[in-house]
Amino acid sequence: MPAQAGIRLRETPDSRFRGNERNGSRGSIVTIAQALLPVPVLLPLAVATALLAVAHWLPTAVSNVLGIITALLVMLLCGYLAREALDGQVLQWFGGWTPASSQRPGVVLGISFLADPASAAVAAYVGFMFAAALLFAFGYAETRSHFQILMLLFLAAMVGFCLTHDLFNMFVWFELMSVAGFALTAYPLGKSSLEGAFNFTIINALGSFMMLTGVGLLYARTGTLDFTQMGRVVTASGADAVIGAGFCLIAAALLTKAAIVPFHMWLSDAHAVAPSPVSVIFSGIMVSVALFALGKIVAQIFIHDGAVMMLVRTLFVWLGTATAIVGGLMAWAQRHLKRLLAFSTIAHLGIMLIGVAAVAPAAMAGFVLYLFGHGLIKGALFMVAGILLSLRASGDEIVLYRKARDLWPAGVAMAIGGLLLGGLPYGLLHRATDTIDPSAAPLITAAIVLSTALTGAAVLRAAARIFAGWSGAPGPEISAPTERDHEKDDRPFWLMLMSCALLLAVAFTPGTAVETFLSQATLRLMDIQAPNVPPPERQPNALVSYLPIALTIGLFVLSLFRQRATTALSRRLFHAELLPFRALQFVHSGIVSDYVAWMMLGLAALALVIGW
Amino acid sequence: MTTPWRLALFVLALIVLVPAVWHVALALPAFGAPTEQYGAAVNALLTATRHVTNMVAAVNFDVRGFDTLGEESMLVCAVTGAVVLLRGTRGESMTDRAGKIPGRAVAPRTDATVLVCRIAATLTLLFGVYMALHGTVTPGGGFQGGAIAGSSLMLLYLGEGYESWRRMVRSPALDVLEGGGAFVFVGAAAVPLMLGYALLQNVLPFGTPKDLYSGGLMVVANFAVGVSVAGSFGLLLLEFMEETRSPDSESMPDEED
Amino acid sequence: MSILPWLTAAWLFGIGVYGVVTSRHYVHLIGCLTVCQSATYLLLLSIGYWWGAGPPIFYDHPPGTPAVDPVLQALVLTDIVVGAAVTALLLVIALQVHKRRGTLDPQSLRPLRPSQ
Repeated sequence: MPAQAGIRLRETPDSRFRGNERNGSRGSIVTIAQALLPVPVLLPLAVATALLAVAHWLPTAVSNVLGIITALLVMLLCGYLAREALDGQVLQWFGGWTPASSQRPGVVLGISFLADPASAAVAAYVGFMFAAALLFAFGYAETRSHFQILMLLFLAAMVGFCLTHDLFNMFVWFELMSVAGFALTAYPLGKSSLEGAFNFTIINALGSFMMLTGVGLLYARTGTLDFTQMGRVVTASGADAVIGAGFCLIAAALLTKAAIVPFHMWLSDAHAVAPSPVSVIFSGIMVSVALFALGKIVAQIFIHDGAVMMLVRTLFVWLGTATAIVGGLMAWAQRHLKRLLAFSTIAHLGIMLIGVAAVAPAAMAGFVLYLFGHGLIKGALFMVAGILLSLRASGDEIVLYRKARDLWPAGVAMAIGGLLLGGLPYGLLHRATDTIDPSAAPLITAAIVLSTALTGAAVLRAAARIFAGWSGAPGPEISAPTERDHEKDDRPFWLMLMSCALLLAVAFTPGTAVETFLSQATLRLMDIQAPNVPPPERQPNALVSYLPIALTIGLFVLSLFRQRATTALSRRLFHAELLPFRALQFVHSGIVSDYVAWMMLGLAALALVIGW
Repeated sequence: MTTPWRLALFVLALIVLVPAVWHVALALPAFGAPTEQYGAAVNALLTATRHVTNMVAAVNFDVRGFDTLGEESMLVCAVTGAVVLLRGTRGESMTDRAGKIPGRAVAPRTDATVLVCRIAATLTLLFGVYMALHGTVTPGGGFQGGAIAGSSLMLLYLGEGYESWRRMVRSPALDVLEGGGAFVFVGAAAVPLMLGYALLQNVLPFGTPKDLYSGGLMVVANFAVGVSVAGSFGLLLLEFMEETRSPDSESMPDEED
Repeated sequence: MSILPWLTAAWLFGIGVYGVVTSRHYVHLIGCLTVCQSATYLLLLSIGYWWGAGPPIFYDHPPGTPAVDPVLQALVLTDIVVGAAVTALLLVIALQVHKRRGTLDPQSLRPLRPSQ
């Protein structure tokens, strides 16, 4: 052995570390929280792979129960981590590759997980939503546990995405999230499900290629993949085209996942055709978590890069506003329930982007609150849509006119959800809408109010039509895309309703209760060292606070009293009203090549603004 | 939107993107510049600290092993998705009748084909296992070896014919390989955690460099990934093969008008 | 030219996207996506390359000989697995769509609308 050239085991300075690496690096794991840090990701991975190995012999009910238990355990673990993280960040370097082990200053070799309170709270929320969705999906899938395996892998990916502190690791979890999403969207194997899944896959795959290119460019310039290290290098280097390009590409990928105009068109296709429990996860968490990651990256890596911050603070605000308006208008003009809810998700994502783009702790706290509130309500609404699809074999509000009067508890849930979306002054979402836009520019406030009202009124209109039989003449929604659809119909109504009611009940938590925690959490997220001072009590403008719900109810009442267009004048007015909606429907054509062209245009817009 | 309009949008985007790409290309470090600090540190340290000679495998299974765990789960996820989408309401079937395309001749299998395929399949399987096990020493590793081992199944089909092949290769067994391999990888990550070390920390003895057993926990991870990838590719092959069989009934899987 | 690899990668990505935008067949579209992906491989591997350096395998050469960046090669390995996974899923979806619609032309395959 000593004859082997180059392998000098005794003389290299590393031999000092060799023994220590096994004994001494035990010291890098000091607290229980640190040791538990990767468990919320390992647990679903372990359960999923074990389920796969025994899938042939295991009854589906057992895997259902295992899935729910795993999701609940993840929620409890992440909640514990969030509490522990308030006393100081929980950090673990995987493989024992701490920064010291590289023996070079400023070079970090390993991957780390970092649980700050906000990320751990979002991860806990992910676990909770998965538990609710799996409860709702009890009895939905009879394919030998494969559905549960895909859901568990999806859960692991999202938790990993929230907790990671390494850029390429984030990309890996982003990919796993996407692949699980693609497979789950195509699961029903209907024509539209497959085509929707195809569009979803192509657009998101292109997004992930852009993200990988961005990561490569950033590595080329900074030589590292760790958030903290990269932040230091970006702060130290000056204005740089490579860093700007890297950020543009990564932002384009995250904005694609978060369905921001003009990257948004895949979402209405995918969420409308995915199985309802999966749509709950998509609209409830997956899309908002992408925005959370965007905010985290901007705050921790690019906070001192002038060009990037200018891009974020200007263009992203306008993109968010445009998304809110487009989503709201399109939601108002839909008749297929899940497509309506998908567009309303797009609208609310635009509002959330406005909060993220402000890059301030108060706005970030508002954004996280909005993430929770909107996700819970949207999840509940998708569950109602799932109830209708399975018990009434249709998802179209005009076809379902008066057909669900005996399912009135679901109607009550849908009406409550619509009111909450439209700005009812109770619960998490309302408090979040008040705090999400610190700049309070009149145009942006008007856009937020309008889009909130449009989405809430659309849901109320659909609820009234389906459950109560109250309806005016159909408006622009009469020409919206739709099809006959159904889901497995032997699931108990009370079980599905219970999951829905659970989500709505949590959505009613007063926002002020969570706000103290969140304002502390976002200060930590943005690495701002501030003493434990309670946040200044922001007095929301009373007019702006109650305007959305008033407008919602107004639009809803208007839709109830709409008459059929019989006179020539009213016909002309009706056609004039339809025109913008027709134009928007034409743009959202369903052809994936169109979507790709719009995506490139969006990337060009990002490049243009940052180059300016 | 028709193609000309779409192309117009695309060209509009290119008008901005082409100068941007040019600008970024000029700003990137020149092609052929020395390795970044991260890579240079790995090259310098890993042989002495982990006794391996394949730096890429060292990065894949030790330094950035957590990434590989995610990547392996992604492969499992994709194959599970593909299986569930192909099976659909057909369910797990073992159809013996080959699908027939009118006008296409079906030649019987010759003895030479059978013999060559049997030899080639065995050698390929051995080569795949060799590749997977020696991943820490020479270029190769779990993913590469597993893919090669998976392709030996294809050779086996060519030699044996569908019915006998299907009797040998059953999807529950492939499921066990795929899920079991991934589970062992997750276990290899979790066991150091339970012992009080960091996740995926190399707690086994490191072995000797240039030897079959070198790298400690990397060998376990390599082997587990190889087994899992072989199972995944086999399962994909099996399901795609089932698609070429003639359907048992004429009914279209699934609903809708 | 020291910027040729970057330009080639950008060209590959561009031509792949052009193919997707003008495609008339799902399988052709999937192939164009694969072309986009090879652009990322090329970019990553070119970033790691070092003139005159050898591969990061120290079996025949002692550790300490100049070697290219192994981290980027590991990233490309992950990328290849991602590509295989996504391509497999896309082909499965295309197969199932063909069984139901009889066509694979993206222009006539629009979710929630009747086929044209």
